[in-house]
Amino acid sequence: MGLTIAEKILARASGNDRVRAGDEVKARPDFVIAYDFPGYTDVIFRQMKEDFGIDKVVDPDRFALFIDHMVPAVTPKEEELHQITRDWGAEQGVPVYERKGIGHQVAAELGYATPGAFVVHFDGHISQLGTYGALAIGVRKHLLEAFVKEHIMIRVPQTVRVNLTGKMQPGVMARDVFHHIVRVLGPSACRFQVLEIGGPALAGISLEGRQTITCLAMFTGAITAIINPDEASLAYAQPRARLQIDPVSSDPDAEYSAVHDIDISALEPVVVVPPSPANTRDLSEYAGTEVHMGYLGSCASGRLEDLRIAAQILKGRQVKPGFQLNVVPTSQEIMRQAAEEGLITTLTAAGAFVTSSSCDYCFGRMGVMRDGQRAVSTGTLNVRGRMGSTQSEIFIVNAAAVAASAIEGRIADPRRYL
Amino acid sequence: MELKNLRGRAAFVFEEEDFDVDQIVGVTNIKLKDPAELAAVAMQEYDPDFAQQVRPGDILIGGRNFGYGHPHYPPMIAMRHLGVAGVVAESFSPGYWRGEIAMGFPQAACPGVLGLVNRWDELELDWQALELRNLTTGKALPIEPLSQADRLMLMQGGLIGYLKARDAEPAG
Repeated sequence: MGLTIAEKILARASGNDRVRAGDEVKARPDFVIAYDFPGYTDVIFRQMKEDFGIDKVVDPDRFALFIDHMVPAVTPKEEELHQITRDWGAEQGVPVYERKGIGHQVAAELGYATPGAFVVHFDGHISQLGTYGALAIGVRKHLLEAFVKEHIMIRVPQTVRVNLTGKMQPGVMARDVFHHIVRVLGPSACRFQVLEIGGPALAGISLEGRQTITCLAMFTGAITAIINPDEASLAYAQPRARLQIDPVSSDPDAEYSAVHDIDISALEPVVVVPPSPANTRDLSEYAGTEVHMGYLGSCASGRLEDLRIAAQILKGRQVKPGFQLNVVPTSQEIMRQAAEEGLITTLTAAGAFVTSSSCDYCFGRMGVMRDGQRAVSTGTLNVRGRMGSTQSEIFIVNAAAVAASAIEGRIADPRRYL
Repeated sequence: MELKNLRGRAAFVFEEEDFDVDQIVGVTNIKLKDPAELAAVAMQEYDPDFAQQVRPGDILIGGRNFGYGHPHYPPMIAMRHLGVAGVVAESFSPGYWRGEIAMGFPQAACPGVLGLVNRWDELELDWQALELRNLTTGKALPIEPLSQADRLMLMQGGLIGYLKARDAEPAG
């Protein structure tokens, strides 16, 4: 039997000719990435010195820190946390990227999504680097291991392969495709495994859309998602790659734990109803539900194609009076391009509140709801209390549906506006 | 050195699939830090007398994909404060699993456990025999083996102890 891309990447990272799913290996991460967050980075920096007596990380170029949560700071304590991060980066020779946007996106822009690379972070949404053929895994507090050891222990994961076939209909986006995968496979189908996405439909899904799909892999139970490099992803990732690694792909006869074919031709826009990311439904079932807030942004969505379709829908129209629409481009680079294309003008003219890139709208630090309010959101998650009150509700939809719902103040099918 | 077996009663059975552990303390309490405060609010929605009834060494039982969603640490901080010694579930969500193993909190996957155990049954989790025994009914089911790293982490009381133990190994 042949090998999966995940097996090939971990073979190289562990210095083995060949590893198979189930093997436990010591692998050297090519990149160790984190954003600063209380209880994570500040604790890791302290533990490294106090518990392990380590003054310097091995090969600081492998490390990258992002300041993207609590940006801008609203309390002196938050700014103090950021200063700890800046000081640590300066002391270690580790780059700290600040005010550039959401780290998972900026990491791709800066070349950390090197095809074939093995990447770790504490946050699971780093899986989106898999769009470019990197194996990027969120390991929660185990990230400490990568700071105090050059090699980390990892069990080579099995892989579930999903072949997407058919073609998305207008008004249907990659966001819908991901949640449809959860609906078809269930929220535990890929537990502890890699979700490998392929199939002919991928050719019709942009790199941005692929980042949306791979970003959310955790909601299938997967530890990450990955796509074999193709012409489009290599054209983006290779020129900016930070390492010279030969890209690898799964063999045609790779051994998967399961293979699923999912046809997206008949897929309609979906809504993920609260309070769980497992609750995918057709949006049409919930059309008309009153909503008070819209959030277009996050590491999952908020890229140019999301902003473009929102602008297309809102052009010449107005957000319903009283409805709060927050638009947060995923990175400052995306913000700049959106401005050049005139999208910011269109969105602002329609009544959207467009702000600089930050994670803060996604995890309930800004743009929060009171009891009884409901939001349509492209954020990552719809659990209780994620955007403020535990008595508020979050309906996850694609960017087009956020825009359409903002016009009506009700969950709206975007296809009527296209 | 072997991992110590667990012996205790099934303090609660969470039958729900994809159970979001944050519900144990309630999302409104998820930012509490003090273990005693967390313990005081734990399980109010499920069994208000839980704190009075649970005993040190008791075990929680979970369903399929236990810990799904966006798990935080406070619920199991509360459970450990109350003396709960570990969790046995049909299967686990990886994010939850990694988080709790790093805390040194024993977790074992045991397909079929919901059919094996009723609340308050006396249980023994045997890591060597790789089985969960229901001492009340005399029945048993196999548990899934831990990875080497997870087993060492539980033996060393969590991530820090595990990594320190690895300091003894050759550099690299």
